[in-house]
Amino acid sequence: MSVESAADESVPLSIEGLTIDYGERRAVDSLSLALRPGEIYGLLGSNGAGKSSTIKSIVGLVRPRSGRVRVFGRDVTVDGLSAKAKIGYVPETSLLYESLTPREFLEFIAGVRRLDPAAATERMRAYAIAFRLESELEEPIASLSSGTRQKVLIIAAFLHTPRLLVLDEPMNALDPRSVRIVKDLVVRYAGAEGRAVLFSTHTMEVAEELCHRVGILDRGVLLAEGTLNELRGRVAHGDASLEEVFLRLTQEDEGLPAAIALLEG
Amino acid sequence: MGWRDAWRLSRTPLAEVSFQAIYAFRQGNLPPPGPARLLAARARRRVAQSKALVGFVLGLITVGAAVLLRVGTAGSATLASYALPPAAFDAGVLTGLLSIDVALLWWTGLQMLTTFLSSGALPVLESLPIDETTLRRTAGIVYLRMFDVPTAVVLVATPLFVGIALGPLAGLATVPGALTAVTFALALSFVTGRFFVRKIQGSRGGGGRTVVRWAHLLLWLIPAVAVLGFVSAGPVFFTVLGGAASGSSPTTFEALVAAYPFTLAMLPALAAVGPRGVSLSSVALLELATASAGYVLLAVYASLWMFGSVRSASRLPTRSSRPGPPPQYELRPQRPALAVMTKDLRTESRTPGYAFLILLPILDSVAIGLVTLADAPGRAAAQSLALAAVVAAALLATFFGPAFFSIEVVAYSYGRSLPLSNRSVILGKAALMVIVYLLAGVIVLGITLVRVSAPWVFLGFVAAEFPAVLAAALLELGILFRWSRARGVPVSNLYAGAWTALVVAIPGLVVAAAPLLAYGTFGFVVMAALSVGELAVCAPLTLGREGS
Repeated sequence: MSVESAADESVPLSIEGLTIDYGERRAVDSLSLALRPGEIYGLLGSNGAGKSSTIKSIVGLVRPRSGRVRVFGRDVTVDGLSAKAKIGYVPETSLLYESLTPREFLEFIAGVRRLDPAAATERMRAYAIAFRLESELEEPIASLSSGTRQKVLIIAAFLHTPRLLVLDEPMNALDPRSVRIVKDLVVRYAGAEGRAVLFSTHTMEVAEELCHRVGILDRGVLLAEGTLNELRGRVAHGDASLEEVFLRLTQEDEGLPAAIALLEG
Repeated sequence: MGWRDAWRLSRTPLAEVSFQAIYAFRQGNLPPPGPARLLAARARRRVAQSKALVGFVLGLITVGAAVLLRVGTAGSATLASYALPPAAFDAGVLTGLLSIDVALLWWTGLQMLTTFLSSGALPVLESLPIDETTLRRTAGIVYLRMFDVPTAVVLVATPLFVGIALGPLAGLATVPGALTAVTFALALSFVTGRFFVRKIQGSRGGGGRTVVRWAHLLLWLIPAVAVLGFVSAGPVFFTVLGGAASGSSPTTFEALVAAYPFTLAMLPALAAVGPRGVSLSSVALLELATASAGYVLLAVYASLWMFGSVRSASRLPTRSSRPGPPPQYELRPQRPALAVMTKDLRTESRTPGYAFLILLPILDSVAIGLVTLADAPGRAAAQSLALAAVVAAALLATFFGPAFFSIEVVAYSYGRSLPLSNRSVILGKAALMVIVYLLAGVIVLGITLVRVSAPWVFLGFVAAEFPAVLAAALLELGILFRWSRARGVPVSNLYAGAWTALVVAIPGLVVAAAPLLAYGTFGFVVMAALSVGELAVCAPLTLGREGS
């Protein structure tokens, strides 16, 4: 084992020069970032900024045009199975096997991840009670509400106690109680040794509340990265909210009053 | 809004059904590589190809029936052995044609329905300010247009080719038969589809309910029985028909005359040759006229009802929570390949289009087994028939095998984010195909045990073919897997991917059939050696490389 790879294995996620194209359209352009152990990293950006494409390349759904994604030292393109085994993933849309029930779905996930039956059952029960999902464990997923499906996906992501959590808009469709639970879970989870969380969101308040660092993507390029205070420094505004920082950095605030006025008219 | 608006509105959901059938974005698939602007056009082209293929098969069957009618009229020695009067023979062939038309259209409908429902194309319209009548009409038009090419082939080819074979009047007289066949097939697809939404797709989990679900799914085998039953039991049917038509059993003939589709198949037969040789009593004539009118009226009613009800099919029933404390559920995880197989079985038990693939070879074995038990003249003949059943099961399992992969369209994207190797997925699915084959073999042996002279020969035959079936399954799934990964799309169903499934099934069929042919020519040892040799080549070829 080389010194470089040994050092890499302590890094939960490292992305180097990632470029993703969809046909003629470039979704992500030469993106580089790294997560530190114990860190909650928020990926922010407008619609189409490249957040979901970045996340999909981490979980092996998108093959990048160039660049490298490593999860605890494992290259996702070369050693995808090892990398995926370390990840818990919540996709942006409820991509589930709709004809299964939540219990059957979680049983499939537990099988694929080779989990101990007793431990998996115990974890499923605990999460089902927390999310008030017990009475729906044997209902077909197709008949569940989008919020309930999201809860099932969150349980599936946590079931194997992953070392890296990758959450793409995890609060989508969740009720306030569940949002509170997920926030708490994420904070406690990242606090455990050696783990880390990457999540994308449009909700600035959530990012401000949870993230140790944020990265702001704009049209596939990482515009800025750092703690909230560091980003405030970038826009020379000492008490700006993350929303103000985001709008300023992405220049989305330009023409904003005029756009609102246009709608009012 | 009028009919024209409904027709115009139907274009968007129809395009969406095609699009989702190929790319399954609604199930979470990602855009494949290549220019995005070409995707919609490619989806439309692929769906058109699939429809054309189904239409071609239906046309081919119609031409085959017309040739048979022509040969029968000319008086072939083989056909003469049934001692059938010309009118009865023609009616018998046309009954077969109409049964197969209904069955194939119905079966295609079952496949399309999954796409239709999962596309979510209609609910999008529901939120727009469109009046109820137009929504209902649009839904009906979308449904009918999904079947456009196959139904057009039946409606045009049947009168045309029967007209060429038996004369223009007979061709014209097939129109009620062709129209009712199309209507009944579409209505049956719809009725069974609605049943699927209400009773199967929405079924809760649990052991007992799984049994009930599979029992419900037997309903979906009726089309298979119609096709295979006619092929397998055709000779028996012609024998019965010969006896009934010659006047020896007027009650049987009267019962046949009232039964669909024989009733409407009699019309062109009578138009072509008159009641020559058929003992048609006045009761039978009256029955024929009444039943024909009845079936046409039923078809009119069915089409009106179906057209007005399509919209309701895409809605799942609302479910109320169960009273009392929730039960304590347990997780029983299995090894990855087994987990894939269990997941597929559970999905298939709620998806009739897929359940059909498992149940078809098994049911065919039951049918041939029963025929063997009841009809085979001697123990040696019984043995041959039983072996034929196993051959059919092996070929059916490998022919329909590629469709097992198409189930991956469901949550395709999420599945790829899991640490699941190609090897586990392929092994899980290949195991399912092989289990279907073995189960069919066991069923045949169980049914025919008293008639088969040397059960150990039969068992040896099943065992010797086993490696070839596994090799064929691995080969087919391996090709499909690499193909779909390379193109970045899930393998789709008959509505969108019939061509792919067919092309991939050919090498599988060759691999499965080679030892069977070797048995006939060189005997058991060569068969077994070839079978094992094929597995030795195909297994490393497919499973050799571990991938993500």
